[in-house]
Amino acid sequence: MARSNYEYPGYEASGATYWTKTTLLYAVVSLGALWMTLPFWWTLTTALSQNPTASSVTFIPAELTLGNFVTLWERPDILLVRWFLNTVLFATAVTLFNLAFDSLAGYSLAKVDFWGRDTLFLGFISTMMIPGMVTLIPVYLLLVELNWINTYQGLIAPLAANPFGIFLLRQHFKSLPSALGDAAKIDGCNEFQTFYKVYLPLAKPALATLGIFTFMGAWNNFEWPLIIANSNEMYTLPVALFAVRNQYFAEWGLMMAAALLIVAPVIIAFLAAQNYFIQGMSLSGMKG
Amino acid sequence: MSFEESRTDTDAESALFEVATSVKQQLGINRDQDNLMGWMFVLPNVVMFLVFLLGPVLFAFFISFQDWNILKNEGTWVGLTNYIEILQPWPWENNFAALKDPTVNLWWYSLKNTAVYAIGTVPLQIFGGLAIALLLDKRVRGKKIYRAAYFMPVMLSGAASAVMWRWFLAADGVINGLLEPIGLAHNWAGDPATALGGVMLMAIWGGIGSNMIFFLAGLQNIPEELYEAARIDGASDWEKFRHVTWPNLGNTSFFVIVMAIISSFQVFGIALAFSAGGPYYSTTTSVLLIYQRAFEEGQMGVGAAMAFLLFILIFAFSYYQYRYRQSEEVDY
Repeated sequence: MARSNYEYPGYEASGATYWTKTTLLYAVVSLGALWMTLPFWWTLTTALSQNPTASSVTFIPAELTLGNFVTLWERPDILLVRWFLNTVLFATAVTLFNLAFDSLAGYSLAKVDFWGRDTLFLGFISTMMIPGMVTLIPVYLLLVELNWINTYQGLIAPLAANPFGIFLLRQHFKSLPSALGDAAKIDGCNEFQTFYKVYLPLAKPALATLGIFTFMGAWNNFEWPLIIANSNEMYTLPVALFAVRNQYFAEWGLMMAAALLIVAPVIIAFLAAQNYFIQGMSLSGMKG
Repeated sequence: MSFEESRTDTDAESALFEVATSVKQQLGINRDQDNLMGWMFVLPNVVMFLVFLLGPVLFAFFISFQDWNILKNEGTWVGLTNYIEILQPWPWENNFAALKDPTVNLWWYSLKNTAVYAIGTVPLQIFGGLAIALLLDKRVRGKKIYRAAYFMPVMLSGAASAVMWRWFLAADGVINGLLEPIGLAHNWAGDPATALGGVMLMAIWGGIGSNMIFFLAGLQNIPEELYEAARIDGASDWEKFRHVTWPNLGNTSFFVIVMAIISSFQVFGIALAFSAGGPYYSTTTSVLLIYQRAFEEGQMGVGAAMAFLLFILIFAFSYYQYRYRQSEEVDY
């Protein structure tokens, strides 16, 4: 049950105690928030400084220049556009596959009464317990066998299904009335049409949440592309940043400029659609 | 609801059920068809799970008993050799040398690093997240802005935050710029004694936001009546937290704690991007060691065996937590 903030206990106190408490509250929350956001400011000011030193960028940068971004653009081994497009392709494909596969499975597990359904669902859920690093080596060897290392299909395929998505969408389809499906079938829809035309449009909010969550996860995924993409042309942005770090270590201005290029789109998207991201995050808390 | 009404409802429902059943029969929708369609819908996922999850787990177990040749992509059976090589010398031999010196046994040393990391980050991530959630759950002006500020680090790729923090904590970095005037400047990321602390600081920074969100969601589900009852009984703020908030956050805390510990045992990307396991193995966590053995040195068998050892550890821990949780379960 939601409850309004005005009813929250602890504010009966009045006078001096109230003001001390309130001031302390704001001081603590603001200090914490400063610690959370200052690194972003430092990244920005360093990226905009030609020769960053500790004192020149801490709060207000001494001089501002776009020189680091120009250098990034001009270095022949830094393929900004290519890396960006790789990341977009990778994250989009992973998201679309997840949405397609997980909504089909989620619907089936919620609305179709088939043999072995509950056992299968339990099986899907328990795979969430398998830590990612156990499958890293065997999946890599499988992709070697398929000649899929350093290819887009190698990057995308192993991430195309996700038990959390199945769980989330199953719960959502379960909450929709079965009468809708019965009505559609009386009107002559088959199972797929019932799913596609009746239930899927009603699942849009859940699909949007899962989609954003999956896209963000793939966009930020560092470990998997690190293992699969091993040529400059195939890097996604996080791996590319790691490569830039190894190549131009201690050129801090340049590195922060590169970091900023990865961070900025995510932060802008987050600030624009805050509620979706936060909702996706709190929903992922349900998987426990 | 009167007796009459409820009877009509049931009648209507059973009538509808009969109609639906007869329609289903007329349309030829029967169990066979449900079975067929149901399995067809889950088929893509079943295939993906067999090929990329269940199959690989079994395959990993198989590889861990092999000396794997990555050029031919095939292995030779070596029995328990990989496991013995990883585990020996045991940590308690030679006055716990393996825990103090990375050259004695890197596996135990990496496990020690991982444990230090887990113990240092998990409580702060959780209590930090809980504290901020409790504060923001009150009447705070600009709540949305604060929430966004705390959540922003969660949005970053591990690679990006590691590279950023590597610069902040460098010898000539920003943080030393702040510490220099008070004489505390130090090469934080370059000193084996403090490098892991740097990784932990970054992980706490990036981990508070998500826990805050989980706890905020949990707090929203606590019925207001409980607080009202506590207020009438004259409970202080602390008593309200201790006897109302905390017991009712049980499920959320359990989930948050277990997930935080499991993911802290799998930390790897940030340690790699921060300092590549160095200086002098001080940030070599267990999964980073697995990565280095398997993908930098090509010892797939050793890597798989290490992964399995860690898997057993994580599984035992989760199971223990689950059992403990069941014995503690509180009902309201």
